[in-house]
Amino acid sequence: MLNSLLRAVLVVTMALPGAPLAAPVFEVSAPLGLNFTLENSPTPQKHLIETMPGGVALLDYNNDGLLDIFFVNGGRLTTPLPTPDNFDRHDPKYWNRLFRQNKDGSFTDVTEQAGLANAGDGNYGMGVAVGDYDNDGYPDLYVTSYGKNILYHNNGDGTFTDVTAKAGVAAGGWSVSAGFFDYDNDGKLDLFVTRYMDWDTKHSKDCGGNYHTYCPPEEFPATTNILYHNNGDGTFTDVSQKSGIAAKKGRALGVGFADYDGDGFTDIFVSNDGMQQYLFHNNGNGTFTELGLEAGAALSEDGRRMSGMGVVFQDYDNDGRPDIMVTLLPREIYAVYHNDGGGSFSYRSLETGLGVLSSGSSGWSIGLEDFDNDGWKDIFVAQAHVLDNVESIDPSLHYRDVPLVAMNRNNRFERVDSGVTTPMAARGAAFGDLNNDGWEDVVMTCLGGHPQVLMNLGGKAGSKAHWLVITLRGTRSNRDGYGARVRVNGQTRFATSTVGYLSASDKRLHFGLGTAEKAKVEIMWPSGIHQTLNDVHTDQFLEVKEPEAGAPEEQNRKPSQ
Amino acid sequence: MIRAFLFLTLSFALHTPSPEAAEHMQAGIAADKQHQFDVAITEFRKVTELDPSYADGFISLGQAYMEKHEFASAMAPLKRALELDQDSAPAHQLLGYDLLVQGYAAAAIPHLERAPDRDKTALGLAQIQTGLLPEAVANLQAALAARPNDPDILYYLGRASGLLSKQSIDTLLAAYPDSPRAHQAMGENYFVLRQMPQAEKEYRDALSLRPDIPEVHLELGEVYAGAFEWPKAEEEFRAQAKLQPGNAEAIYRLGSALLEQGKVHEARVELARADKLMPDMPETLYSLGKAASLEGDAAAAEKEWTKLLSIEKESLLAAQAHFGLAGLYRKQGKTAAAQREMQEFQRLQRGSNPTQPPAQEESQH
Repeated sequence: MLNSLLRAVLVVTMALPGAPLAAPVFEVSAPLGLNFTLENSPTPQKHLIETMPGGVALLDYNNDGLLDIFFVNGGRLTTPLPTPDNFDRHDPKYWNRLFRQNKDGSFTDVTEQAGLANAGDGNYGMGVAVGDYDNDGYPDLYVTSYGKNILYHNNGDGTFTDVTAKAGVAAGGWSVSAGFFDYDNDGKLDLFVTRYMDWDTKHSKDCGGNYHTYCPPEEFPATTNILYHNNGDGTFTDVSQKSGIAAKKGRALGVGFADYDGDGFTDIFVSNDGMQQYLFHNNGNGTFTELGLEAGAALSEDGRRMSGMGVVFQDYDNDGRPDIMVTLLPREIYAVYHNDGGGSFSYRSLETGLGVLSSGSSGWSIGLEDFDNDGWKDIFVAQAHVLDNVESIDPSLHYRDVPLVAMNRNNRFERVDSGVTTPMAARGAAFGDLNNDGWEDVVMTCLGGHPQVLMNLGGKAGSKAHWLVITLRGTRSNRDGYGARVRVNGQTRFATSTVGYLSASDKRLHFGLGTAEKAKVEIMWPSGIHQTLNDVHTDQFLEVKEPEAGAPEEQNRKPSQ
Repeated sequence: MIRAFLFLTLSFALHTPSPEAAEHMQAGIAADKQHQFDVAITEFRKVTELDPSYADGFISLGQAYMEKHEFASAMAPLKRALELDQDSAPAHQLLGYDLLVQGYAAAAIPHLERAPDRDKTALGLAQIQTGLLPEAVANLQAALAARPNDPDILYYLGRASGLLSKQSIDTLLAAYPDSPRAHQAMGENYFVLRQMPQAEKEYRDALSLRPDIPEVHLELGEVYAGAFEWPKAEEEFRAQAKLQPGNAEAIYRLGSALLEQGKVHEARVELARADKLMPDMPETLYSLGKAASLEGDAAAAEKEWTKLLSIEKESLLAAQAHFGLAGLYRKQGKTAAAQREMQEFQRLQRGSNPTQPPAQEESQH
């Protein structure tokens, strides 16, 4: 009797830090000044591009310690479509938008003064990548489009300059998700651009017979992704062929970066729509080999091809190895590829519970973040169907949906109340701590609507769970430390801002720490330097500088706020 | 269509035609054999003119008209043949066909009933059109026994059975609209129409009236499974399995619902039970292998999938079993075996859709 009582007490006590949050997790916020509508211009002709935007980025573009928000807009589609392509991006309604966060939590639209207005009339906007490609300490923006992509250099004075032509990264075709990473560990961020398919407005068509729906991807030819190598002088070289990336055609929508086999080189996972997924193994010599099938991360458990959309490449079970999650269409269930080590993955959608949570949903952007600061990463998925008339085709499905928020309980995910009650046509989502309270927030884009700013209520709810947010400051490695493996009290994050679908998260690394008041921080920098910080106080924003050769460790850390 | 019915064996009537009529008769038969129907019609008409009491002349004339697809013209000589010989089976058969082809099914039936016994197809078809469904099913079953796997007979038998089923259900709904069976039937109807909320309601109504009504839990479980509501599906399949512990399908469905929820061990237990009740069902074997694999029991997974492959070699399930085995062997470091299984998987995938390899997209080279 006593034993069982004691056990019960222990279970309750031990569960406290990680106990389920009182629902809901988020509060839907409408910050003052955040006036943006994602204009996708749906048409009866069902041009495929109109159901695919748009990205969102959380970045501190002016280094004032507050996250700002950048939204990618679509464009105007008319009937008939003009030749050459013109999506009226000169019209302010169709501009991408940058909102600077003010100290009171409100936002100011600084698009025009930042030099980000008018993305070019021939470009229909898609996604965004964030990275400091010239290591000057200010995050730069890369905006993808159907049309030409744009690289905006952050001048450090609140303005950006379009340097696409000089940099040579316009791409062309239909670009979707993109991300900065350093594939050759030379300290300069390279750029990977996914492209969806060989589609253009001249060959647009609708499918579905009398229903008139967007066409499935198989209706259009596959295409290649692009890898740009950063030359370090403001220019990039297209190494897609040389690296082997262009050897595989696909229908890519999402991309994630992590070193899955621990060989010190960042690998690439590409989610493809309606076919196998691609895992590009970095051979460490400037080339990649696609090993998705061989690694067990290409198909479903039953060997079925999948409609890969968003992807996150992080460690959900705290074993130190990056796992892969891919959002899919209904009846496919979101894929969880657990990294077993040895370069091999196993499909765990059913065991993790994600299968039963997702079998009726269609997912786009996805994040693995510790929303309740219990030390285990949770899931957020922006959900909505591709087809805006899906209900008329299959009444059991819905076009608009609420996001999925599922807490990680012993590596099994349990749905909780997201706090979002109105279903929306969600697409992009980015993650970060908007109000610097130590609790991860979310910004989600919605077709034809306003973005959803979801503020984490964990802090307000009085949770005592601790946290630590780390900003990496590379010296020999790239300045943002992208590609670093950071381990804090047994949890691991792989440094990247690339996330989900079309989006870029806060580059700062957030760790929920439960009851821990001190933390041990271990960083494996892309340069190969291994850095350890002991007895780090929790509940702080910490900047960690990559050690110079021979420098004492303690000189390399300071509170960043 | 009509040609299929025309296998008339001319009877040798007692009446012998005149020599001149017999000559025209032979000429008509020769022309008919060469599909020269106009010539045959001219010759047979001369036979009937030369010997107006010769029934076979009228039968042959009617048949020639039918072969020329001039069905209306065939009726008069066939009727005349029956006036001359009211027991002529060929005349009844041809007139029955002729009436049926022209849509006079009710009029055709008395004649088809007097046709030779070797083919009941036309009679069954006429009975379908006149709503004599039980009789149609019986006759078509007899026809199928005589000509197994005949696609026309299979089609009409299926149609007759379906209509008979509908007739029974219509009667049920009209006579007992609030009965459990009526709600079940309505639920099935809505299920087919994919109107799931209505189907769910009807099944629920049936169960509220008669909680132990057979099959309804299973059908309601399918509604929930179709909507991915796996916990609810599990509940219904479990209820069905409790009512009918020998129902292999219910237990297989229960195992599948558990598997979908990641309740791997429980799923494995139920799937094993289904396999015991109905051994070697490929779907059960595949799911058993999958559950074993998810539980880390590689040996059992290998055994189930290998067994499946001994039963099915070219199906989608076979492809999936090869894929599963490839994964197992890869984890065990059996690279060659893994590659072999993956190649088989890819071969079957290509075979299932040669224009679009599903597993691998094209490489640029």
